[in-house]
Amino acid sequence: MIVYRCETSMESIFTAVYRAYEEKRVHEETIISLTEEPLLFAEDIWVEPDERKVCKVINTLNRRFGQDNYLTLCMALASEDADSAQAVYRTIVQGLAGNVSKGHLFDNLADDYVHRAFALARTVNTEIGHQKQFLRFGELENGVLYSRIGPKNDVVVFLMPHFADRLPMENFMIYDDVHNLFGIHPAGRPWYLLRGGETELPIHLSEEEIRYQELFRQFCHTITIEERKNTKLQRNMLPLRFRKYMVEFS
Amino acid sequence: MDCGIQGGDKVEYLVADAALPLTDKLNILTDAAKYDVACTSSGVERKGNGQGIGNCVAAGICHSFSGDGRCISLLKILLTNECIYDCKYCRNRCSNDIPRATFTPEEICTLTMEFYRRNYIEGLFLSSGIIRNPTFTMELICRTIWLLRNQYHFNGYIHVKAIPGAAPEVIEQAGYLADRMSVNLELPTAEGLRLLAPNKHRKNILTPMRQIQNGIQANQNDLVLYRNAPRFVTGGQSTQMIVGATPESDYHIINVAEGLYQKFGLKRVFYSAFVNVTGDKNLPALPGGPPLLREHRLYQADWLLRFYGFRAEELLDEKRPYFNVMLDPKEDWAVRHLGQFPVEINRAPVNMLLRVPGVGVKSAQRIVAARRSSKLNFNDLKKIGVVLKRAIYFITCNGRMMYPVKLEEDYIVRQLTDEKERIKFGSDGMSYRQLSLFDDSAFERPVSKVEKLRAAVGEI
Repeated sequence: MIVYRCETSMESIFTAVYRAYEEKRVHEETIISLTEEPLLFAEDIWVEPDERKVCKVINTLNRRFGQDNYLTLCMALASEDADSAQAVYRTIVQGLAGNVSKGHLFDNLADDYVHRAFALARTVNTEIGHQKQFLRFGELENGVLYSRIGPKNDVVVFLMPHFADRLPMENFMIYDDVHNLFGIHPAGRPWYLLRGGETELPIHLSEEEIRYQELFRQFCHTITIEERKNTKLQRNMLPLRFRKYMVEFS
Repeated sequence: MDCGIQGGDKVEYLVADAALPLTDKLNILTDAAKYDVACTSSGVERKGNGQGIGNCVAAGICHSFSGDGRCISLLKILLTNECIYDCKYCRNRCSNDIPRATFTPEEICTLTMEFYRRNYIEGLFLSSGIIRNPTFTMELICRTIWLLRNQYHFNGYIHVKAIPGAAPEVIEQAGYLADRMSVNLELPTAEGLRLLAPNKHRKNILTPMRQIQNGIQANQNDLVLYRNAPRFVTGGQSTQMIVGATPESDYHIINVAEGLYQKFGLKRVFYSAFVNVTGDKNLPALPGGPPLLREHRLYQADWLLRFYGFRAEELLDEKRPYFNVMLDPKEDWAVRHLGQFPVEINRAPVNMLLRVPGVGVKSAQRIVAARRSSKLNFNDLKKIGVVLKRAIYFITCNGRMMYPVKLEEDYIVRQLTDEKERIKFGSDGMSYRQLSLFDDSAFERPVSKVEKLRAAVGEI
């Protein structure tokens, strides 16, 4: 049994996938692990990310499975679950061996690994959807839009293209307080990510901001039809964990 | 596009309430708009233009959910609630004594822009009471969204109402600025309309609907020839019917809806459970609250019409004009057509899979994709997302049913409706357990008086 030990990053995992093929491993007896949990009778190989190998893997995935399926694999890797790397690795193996055509990588849901990768990607995709819905910007005194979110998975990288397309002429910033990651978009220029940095920024909202927050709170309150009140449905659609970041519930 | 309306004009009709603060206006005009159901931002995929603000996502995005569980996707407001009409079911009718207010176009634009950049909303839903006359009202709406598109460079979603009776030119202008337009049918029949909305006529409502349909059709032909032709109502049009204010049956309503989808090419028909806000003597009193279950069943049937290949006359007929309260319309259809079941998952065509209760559009597609590479069993179906607790009575995998099931209408109905007698599942949907002597599901039933007596005299 061979175990490739990776850190939790796409680069590291794709390098491990490349090396598994390069070193001609038997895929059924190879594991890509994100933890340091030891396995009996297994040979550990520590993987250092290698840019050249990562690019080759990305190119192959795009060429063989198409961009959509590649994006789905990336989403599966953004998941916090420790078995995401293994599921993605075996899904790729299954796809390359089975000669699936573009866009059909996830067809064989009866396969356990394919289903696992599919389920992980679906969870992450749902989370991305939720954040697009429930993320709220607040205007700071200097006109910058600032948002703080607490996602379960590492989704900021998937949110940035959406908001950069939507607000091209705004300076905005999304702060993920679970993964300590900033997504920063300067007006009219490309966005970038910043890991770490100052976490306890002093937040000064502008006066206009407080006024509009109040207006929106009032709007949400007024639009409710008393006769149809259904807080259970509201809780189903808008889980409580999002509410501490949303202006209408604070 | 220049539609000939100048944004900066002083708006002369507003002098009376110019002093009213924005907070109060928003309050009054949100309250007046909330009974309109449509709040979807779907149907349009449009990238940002790199300059202005906003884009559109085809699936639509709901940004919040209000206390009644309905989504808040668009800033749903009326331009004004000073209405000259006297519809009996409407809160804003002219004979009702409520506070009145009117927004200026600039106020609406600022609100939309500021809410949008904070990610509160997906766009604007602008409706209006009839001020002076329909054409004048439509012009005001048109002026507002022209301003929003051209002066504020808003590129997000806009849904406006086409006011019945307005001049066709103005409706056309609005169509080039908005993503979705809607005309409310209000009540399914002309008689109902005559009774409750004396100022509205069915013909007046259907005219703009037909005009928008023709506009969309013509625009699609234009777009084939000229890629950059201005786009007309890209998100399609929708309408709304009030359920429970007049005595129409479900059969009637669902037939009207089917007609609208087929003849008018509508994107959506919304159903609104009637809420009695005016207490008029012509309106039914609803002691049990609005008919929410009926509304829910109508939406379920609506989905069956649009995505599952059902026809209205398959679901209901003259003899059975109402939906079953206990079963959803698909289950109801299935138990009445047991001759077509069980369906073999590994071989059945997709249109038959779609008719199995518990199988949705996505799971049907996934089944078809997955069965190319392997034979599916019940465990795989669970992974694919089929709701087995409903589906097991109607399907076989590789020629076998999951449990021995009698294909008998009464038995299946009992199983589907009775929580306690259902085949028990673990939390993961699959569970097997050791049979025991006390496995009878009637075991937990309280002992009746007769049984106690019989036990006392030694009969049991």
